Amino acid sequence: MYLVANINIDICAATSCKLCTQFCPEANTINYNTELGKDEGYKYGSAYVAVDRCKGCAQCVWVCDNMAKHHAITMVMIDQLPKAAMTDYITYGEKSTTAQLVNPTAGSE
Amino acid sequence: MSLDYVKFSPGFEGFMPKEYRDMVEHGPFGKKTSVSQMGSFKEILEEHPMCAGCAMTLFIRLAIIAFPNPEDTITVGTAGCGRLAISQAAIPFVYGNYGDQNGVASGLSRGLRLRFGDQPKDVVVMVGDGGMADIGFSGTLHSWFRKEKFTTIMLDNEVYGNTGGQESGMTNQGAVLKMAPLGKKFEKMDMLSMAKLAGCAYVATVVPNNPRRVENVIRKAVLIAREVGPTYIQAYTSCNIEYAIPTDKVLEDCKTVEDDRYKFSEHITEDARDYLADRYGYKEFMPKPAMAAISKA
Ligand SMILES: Cc1ncc(C[n+]2csc(CCOP(=O)(O)OP(=O)(O)O)c2C)c(N)n1
Ligand code: SF4
Ligand code: SF4
Ligand code: SF4
Repeated sequence: MYLVANINIDICAATSCKLCTQFCPEANTINYNTELGKDEGYKYGSAYVAVDRCKGCAQCVWVCDNMAKHHAITMVMIDQLPKAAMTDYITYGEKSTTAQLVNPTAGSE
Repeated sequence: MSLDYVKFSPGFEGFMPKEYRDMVEHGPFGKKTSVSQMGSFKEILEEHPMCAGCAMTLFIRLAIIAFPNPEDTITVGTAGCGRLAISQAAIPFVYGNYGDQNGVASGLSRGLRLRFGDQPKDVVVMVGDGGMADIGFSGTLHSWFRKEKFTTIMLDNEVYGNTGGQESGMTNQGAVLKMAPLGKKFEKMDMLSMAKLAGCAYVATVVPNNPRRVENVIRKAVLIAREVGPTYIQAYTSCNIEYAIPTDKVLEDCKTVEDDRYKFSEHITEDARDYLADRYGYKEFMPKPAMAAISKA
């Protein structure tokens, strides 16, 4: 098992500053959904991680802690994530993306 | 080499992999995308085998997003880490023998001009410091002296990363590496001065911990190379493996090196300034009276 980045939506959606994806070395790994968290009253949507593309470098943790100062990202063992975004279940819209969350070790099941 | 290649062949839509479908429907081709939209469109760069947390990877990701017309761009690379990612992108990539990249790019850019005339086709070389300042040194310098119109980008990790840590001309004096245990004996080569001396129309240094600046310098370099002359960007793109930088400290290291020997610098000729102002409306290069007229209007 290995570590991947996990974004706390409650913290991120409060600002969704969009900094971390500009510093993640991997393409289309940290994406944004402008709707995430809206049902809980947040306005901006949230970042989330496509865990199948994440290489576990934790640069995004450094960015969120030290540049954004929001502390929304932690590294978590992939089998400890009950549900997460994976590339196959992400759809692109005009200005945002949507992820259907699945169990990363079991796929869509 | 046009929007025509980024589409489904009739009848094949349903058989294409998801990544390809996303690229056709939500990729950046034919649109103006920028780093501020990252995370909401399908990027040209795909998954690749470069190391976790590698700053070179981040730089390549940003550079490809910055290409002004990705559908009309060809990248040229050579042996070294960068090609492992640059080759995994949905734009044509030409792999030169180690060191001959600027020769290959010269022929390519001339051929494209003959074939397509005034319609701009951008050629961008992206190569490591060893491939450029050591093995490809003469080819690089000669292409600049010949005023070949394409962009050359050095991915400077100050080491031969791909082959396990030999020193290059761009390694800092005194640096001890796995395959250079006695420490580098001479100074880091000043490729920036050589680029200016050889007549490059635009020369800039950049570090990947400033994404907007990376975008800005790459756009300028590619646009200027269309008509004015050769352009050169030297980017610090640390090798966290050979310099033993913990991956979550890579951006801190970028900042330290930026302050030490990679301060932002930009050299642009008069011709290039006028061209960016006239042709692409770059306000920073417009003569002052013209700017005043615009703000009054
Ligand atoms: C003619 C030739 N000589 C040697 C090699 C072996 N080789 C492959 S990558 C590499 C080093 C690359 O170093 P650099 O250009 O600095 O790029 P980096 O891997 O650091 O990004 C070498 C020597 C080769 N492929 N071809
Ligand atoms: S840096 Fe932190 S707060 Fe900002 S978008 Fe990323 S996870 Fe959210
Ligand atoms: S851990 Fe690294 S690869 Fe994974 S999302 Fe964060 S920055 Fe990207
Ligand atoms: S060896 Fe160094 S430069 Fe090459 S991919 Fe790994 S970290 Fe990057």
